[in-house]
Amino acid sequence: MNKRSFFKIFITTFIVFFIILPIIISNTSWPTLARDYLFEMALDETGAANTVSSIYLGYRLLDTLGETLVLFVAIIGTMSILSNLHKQSLQSIETYSKLPLEKRAKNSLRTNLVEVVASKLGPIILLFGLYVMLYGHISPGGGFQGGVILASAIVFLALGTEVKSKLTNTNVLFKIESFSFISLILVTTYVVFFPNGFFSNIDTNNTFISASIIIILNIMIGLKVGTSLASVIIAMMGGQNDH
Amino acid sequence: MIIERVLIFFIFITGFIGLISMKNIIKKIIGLNLLTSSVVLLFILEASRIGDEAPIIDNKVQNIVDPIPQALMLTAIVIGVCVTALSLAMAVRLYKTTGSLDIEIIKQRLEDDCE
Repeated sequence: MNKRSFFKIFITTFIVFFIILPIIISNTSWPTLARDYLFEMALDETGAANTVSSIYLGYRLLDTLGETLVLFVAIIGTMSILSNLHKQSLQSIETYSKLPLEKRAKNSLRTNLVEVVASKLGPIILLFGLYVMLYGHISPGGGFQGGVILASAIVFLALGTEVKSKLTNTNVLFKIESFSFISLILVTTYVVFFPNGFFSNIDTNNTFISASIIIILNIMIGLKVGTSLASVIIAMMGGQNDH
Repeated sequence: MIIERVLIFFIFITGFIGLISMKNIIKKIIGLNLLTSSVVLLFILEASRIGDEAPIIDNKVQNIVDPIPQALMLTAIVIGVCVTALSLAMAVRLYKTTGSLDIEIIKQRLEDDCE
């Protein structure tokens, strides 16, 4: 690093220091109005005991749909960048984790431990992800969190060599993803049968219907997030993985 | 409360310096992730100032934290993952095209290709 670029970096950091520091250090009192309202009303209005779930699937469902769209667009971009790449150079470059043990001469410390443990842990983590996804409305968790756990379970299955699962095939993952995304959009159109307006709670009386809508949305979002993240990571690990 | 804020600020500054001063693209992406993490931590800290229990309503809880910053940070985390995946894919693409992860070498080789 020469002197001039060091000076530039120093000046930029100095300016950012004085812009960001007051924002982070400032100690103004946090308003309690929204917290009190949600504490009193959220369970009755949306049927979800988990207040975070009741916000992002009840009061702010439109935001969540936009968020899944952002995820969708980013996954499309990543996959299109990566897929052209593997057509050119898949023959010459083998992925490191796919090589059998005897070919990994460069790193003698590497063992088969990762493959064995990952393929044993994969189904258990899959089950745990489904639990977090399904119980997101009454316990810590939800669609996004359960989806990320599902994605890590699928990556574990793809890392392991003991269990052959169809879930590590990116074509199957794409089919699940598109199915869940279409179902998410179709489920959110249920409100046309009720006079409350688009993306609003149909039932503000804490009955069976209001909570079950949140459960269905959690399942759809969890499947979509899990399969899309897993397909990106599998594509980064070495393209199509058809067992 | 001030010590947590100062630590979060140091995480932010570390990520920022990594983002602007590192030559390696992978280190730049790690810096970007540190920036995102510091913002997420700041929001969670702010939300926890008015309560001390998880925002899951049952008969026992009295003083829950503010759930709105947590719901916002859910969005921020997912979008951070999206940005990381996209930038890593671009880094792989640059490496396959130019054979290097150093931005100055990449710039030099791309200029050589253009001439």
